Amino acid sequence: MKEWFIDYIKRYWRRFIVIVIVSILAVLCGAALMFTSGYLISKAALRPENVLMIYVPIVAVRTFGIGRAAIQYIARLTSHDATLRILSEMRIQLYKILEPRALFIRSKVRTGNILGLLSDDIEHLQDIYLRTIFPSIVALSVYFIVIFSLGWFSIPFALIMAIYLFILIVFFPLVSLWITKRKSQEINHQRNHLYQSLTDAVLGVSDLMISGRSKAFIRNHEMDETEITKIESSLHSMSQVREFISQGIIGLIVISMIVWSSGMANTHQIPGTLIAAFVLVVFTLGEIFIPISESTEKISQYQTSLDRLQETSHFETEDSKNEIENVSLHQKVTICLDHVHFRHDNESDWAINDLSLTIKQGEKIAIIGRSGAGKSSLIKLIYGALQPERGTITLNGIPANHFGDKMSKMISVLNQTPYLFDTTIRNNIRLGHQQASDEDIKRAAKQAKLDEYIESLPLGYQSAVDEMGENFSGGQRQRLALARVLLQNTPIVLMDEPTVGLDPSTEKELLETIFEAMKGKTLIWVTHHLVGADKMDKVIFMEQGKIEMQGHHRELMNQFERYRRLYQLDVPYQL
Amino acid sequence: MNRELMSYKGIKLILALISVMTIIQSVCIIYQAKWLADIISSLFAGHRLSSVSNQIIYFAFAFTGRYALSLLIKRGAYLFAQKTGTRLREQVLAKLFQLGPAFVRREGTGNLVTLVLEGISQVRTFIGLILPRMSSMGITPVMILMIVFIENKTSGVILLVTMPVLIVFMILLGLAAQKKMDMQWSAYRTLSNHFVDSLRGIETLKFLGLSKKHGTSIKRVSDKYRTMTMRTLRLAFLSSFALDFFTMLSVATVAVMLGLQLIKGEILLNSALMILILAPEYFLPVRELGADYHATLNGKEAASAIQSIMDVPNEQKIEDHLDLSPWNENSEMTLNKVSMYRNEEGKMSLNCINLNVKGFKKIGIIGESGAGKSTLIDILSGFITPTEGEIHLSGNEHPLSSLTHEEWRQQITYIPQTPYIFSQSVLDNVRFYKPSASDAEVKQALEQAGLADLVSQFPDGINEQIGNGGRMMSGGQEQRIALARAFLCERPIILLDEPTAHLDIETEYALKETMLPLFKQKLVFFATHRLHWMKQMDYIIVLNQGKIIEEGTLDELLNKKGEFHKLIQSQLEGLE
Repeated sequence: MKEWFIDYIKRYWRRFIVIVIVSILAVLCGAALMFTSGYLISKAALRPENVLMIYVPIVAVRTFGIGRAAIQYIARLTSHDATLRILSEMRIQLYKILEPRALFIRSKVRTGNILGLLSDDIEHLQDIYLRTIFPSIVALSVYFIVIFSLGWFSIPFALIMAIYLFILIVFFPLVSLWITKRKSQEINHQRNHLYQSLTDAVLGVSDLMISGRSKAFIRNHEMDETEITKIESSLHSMSQVREFISQGIIGLIVISMIVWSSGMANTHQIPGTLIAAFVLVVFTLGEIFIPISESTEKISQYQTSLDRLQETSHFETEDSKNEIENVSLHQKVTICLDHVHFRHDNESDWAINDLSLTIKQGEKIAIIGRSGAGKSSLIKLIYGALQPERGTITLNGIPANHFGDKMSKMISVLNQTPYLFDTTIRNNIRLGHQQASDEDIKRAAKQAKLDEYIESLPLGYQSAVDEMGENFSGGQRQRLALARVLLQNTPIVLMDEPTVGLDPSTEKELLETIFEAMKGKTLIWVTHHLVGADKMDKVIFMEQGKIEMQGHHRELMNQFERYRRLYQLDVPYQL
Repeated sequence: MNRELMSYKGIKLILALISVMTIIQSVCIIYQAKWLADIISSLFAGHRLSSVSNQIIYFAFAFTGRYALSLLIKRGAYLFAQKTGTRLREQVLAKLFQLGPAFVRREGTGNLVTLVLEGISQVRTFIGLILPRMSSMGITPVMILMIVFIENKTSGVILLVTMPVLIVFMILLGLAAQKKMDMQWSAYRTLSNHFVDSLRGIETLKFLGLSKKHGTSIKRVSDKYRTMTMRTLRLAFLSSFALDFFTMLSVATVAVMLGLQLIKGEILLNSALMILILAPEYFLPVRELGADYHATLNGKEAASAIQSIMDVPNEQKIEDHLDLSPWNENSEMTLNKVSMYRNEEGKMSLNCINLNVKGFKKIGIIGESGAGKSTLIDILSGFITPTEGEIHLSGNEHPLSSLTHEEWRQQITYIPQTPYIFSQSVLDNVRFYKPSASDAEVKQALEQAGLADLVSQFPDGINEQIGNGGRMMSGGQEQRIALARAFLCERPIILLDEPTAHLDIETEYALKETMLPLFKQKLVFFATHRLHWMKQMDYIIVLNQGKIIEEGTLDELLNKKGEFHKLIQSQLEGLE
């Protein structure tokens, strides 16, 4: 609440005041238009000798008419400008929270598209200003202006009005908020349930069809929906009844106004010409006060977004507190793991259990193991994103987690789902090295064997990645990522199953390209099967955080029956 | 008004009802103004308050009636919208189960879930808003205008002239803003997507060492986005400015004209007041419509998106009923010239497939991605209807155009690359195909699928929640849940689509041991590019570009030294 909301109010209060003042002026102009109009025709009804007698109200009526529209326009622009500014700052704030947690988001939040949701949450929060805060403050200010100006004529009547309007702008909104807050929890709960059940239906569509349970599913789903519709319907009915009562209060105010102003006119405390003016102005006020309940109701919706944003601060962060300033970045790097122990928390088993390993510059290593064998922890440890509980991991003697951001000069990563940004092919490749010339980019693309394909596109390197859609296969995506990594030109490359999901011939071609391009570099390759294992200097089998077998492909083939058995699955030499 | 809206069931009745109520409401509005004007002008003339007490009561009645009707109209529209939403959702879901997994893959799961959940509620909002707005827009201004004309021609003319001017300006300015946005659309889209694009790619940025620096780029782009949006908004808000401007100007002009006429004695005060009170009411429906315009846009879009799903032709032929006995040793199936076009231009996923299967056999389907393996499996599973060709099933006189029949589906088990785990307990997941199964049967199936040990370690045993929101399982474990399902329901036909491609080899090896016993006494179709499985197959089909290029037993194909042999050779060679 504080960091996502109050801090922004503190920072932007000057703008907010301007917006509120302009909005109040717009409201007052609208009220003044009806007031002077009522006065104008009452005055005219007295049939003055000369039109000039009502010249001032005529001008005023026109001014207020035009002024209201113009000021409203300004109010809209200023309020949107302010919220867009806040939006921009909130984005940076969110990004800064997520940045050090980048490598852990995927494993932490498994469900769905959390990043997209967070971005939506921020968009959503800008409405809190436009739809709730500004209108509420404006209504509250107008409330006081109205009460004080009436008090100038008659204090008792002003107090009566104060009570009437208090119901509209304080009592109803608070009651509505209280009710919706309670019900919206229920609705959110139900909605999550529905979301889950629909995801089940869509992703499990084949199982539902084959099991013949689709009709039963629809029936169940509708039953759950009925629950939620009931609550929503009762909320709707509540808001409609509230609006009806609110309008009733406006009606009461009109009648009270008639009674009061006629009394005042009879006793000549006000001129009779003001009766119409006072009565007509009431209608314009209703438009300001009645919607406030609806605006405050929305607060319960923002709560969900705020909660989710708040949660981001609890995501796991990488451990690189001891980042040192001057790391010498050699092109020859020896990686040394010495009795490394790592576990995710104190209760769990060792994810990496007393692992020692030395990798010299230019060595090519394949790491294989079941899921949960500790492969991805090992990769994160080498990258310096995690810190071992015992033992050390060093690159040329410097602990891996001391590199911080400079690690990207030492190690580049090619993983299963390289992200391609919504920009041109050229810009996507250039991310590897921002000062790269167009020639460098072409060379990298050529090394990744993607140059011919890119040049065959009508826009060549200027083609947008997003619009390529289906023309861009899984293999080509990996090649684009490869070009980026080649441009990054680090002595070490970590590969995390880049060929999963590719068919054998695509996989073979991609691996050939990769191995050819990686000459001289250290290659640490996490893989799920053994195609290409014979090209590596060493194959490491991991199991429960330990190295189970290691050695060159030939040695393993000779020594281990288990290895031979597995190799057959990939290379069907028996057939 | 749009096509979808008018096609909803019961729309005419509800529109008629709302229109009648709106007419009565407009009468209330007019009388409310009239009585209020009478009250004020009497009081102004110096009459006592008690002399107008009747009018005050009338006014109160008209005023209450107006808002009571407003409540009824909104409530009616809401309930209708809710009913329509429910009906739409049922239709979409039923359609989804008609179109099956091929359709889901094409549309994207996220899109479909959002469409059903949020799209339908947007359509509901749209219907709930647009029905009252449409009728009040069509009825109230006309009725008010008529009364104003009767009372005073000049004011009537002013109001009459303003309305079209206002609407024209609103539309013109709206279009201008739209055009400006369209012109900068691609830049606009890039800017507005930039943030979410950055968040999604944050891991990649990190690996590239750009993540810290990228913060400034977000600031720069966000600011650019703001300036650009403000430029468009300046134009877009002009549209509502025009609305406000002409409304207020017109009210002001009416007031001034009335004043001048009053001086000349051409009109009485109560008429003038009544017109003055009615003038803002005359514009109110347009202003409300303008305010809700954006809220209705999403609903309109969602409505057409839903309609476009409903318009996709059905896969399942409901008319022909199948009489199928369970598949046994003597059952026979023949595919005759079965083809599947991928698109209108005649690109083919499957090209003239002929295939004859008899009894319990294990059939391997081999080919690279794009060869048509999945399409063939989809046809055999009864998910899609082939574009051409026919299928003969023993015991059925007439050839079928597809296998999309409940009776066929009840005989098969389908295991895809990543089986879906429902967010339910292990128990309910395993007995998904056979909800009546007992705990003991499920436990036995888990034992057979090699999951018994794992499940016994769960705190809640077979009642442990798995799937989304529950305990996460590895790819191999998910595959074993699918196998347990298959062991439990014992259906005679099993179709597998690349069940092990994404798993590590140790897991694949262990899974293979579990899977082979399942295949005994079953008809198995096994699509894969992992050649080692072929050793356990009775018959092999090699697909290439939608055609069967080779078929036979393993020995036949090996001796033939044709395409299959080539595939083996290329995998044997290893990397260059």
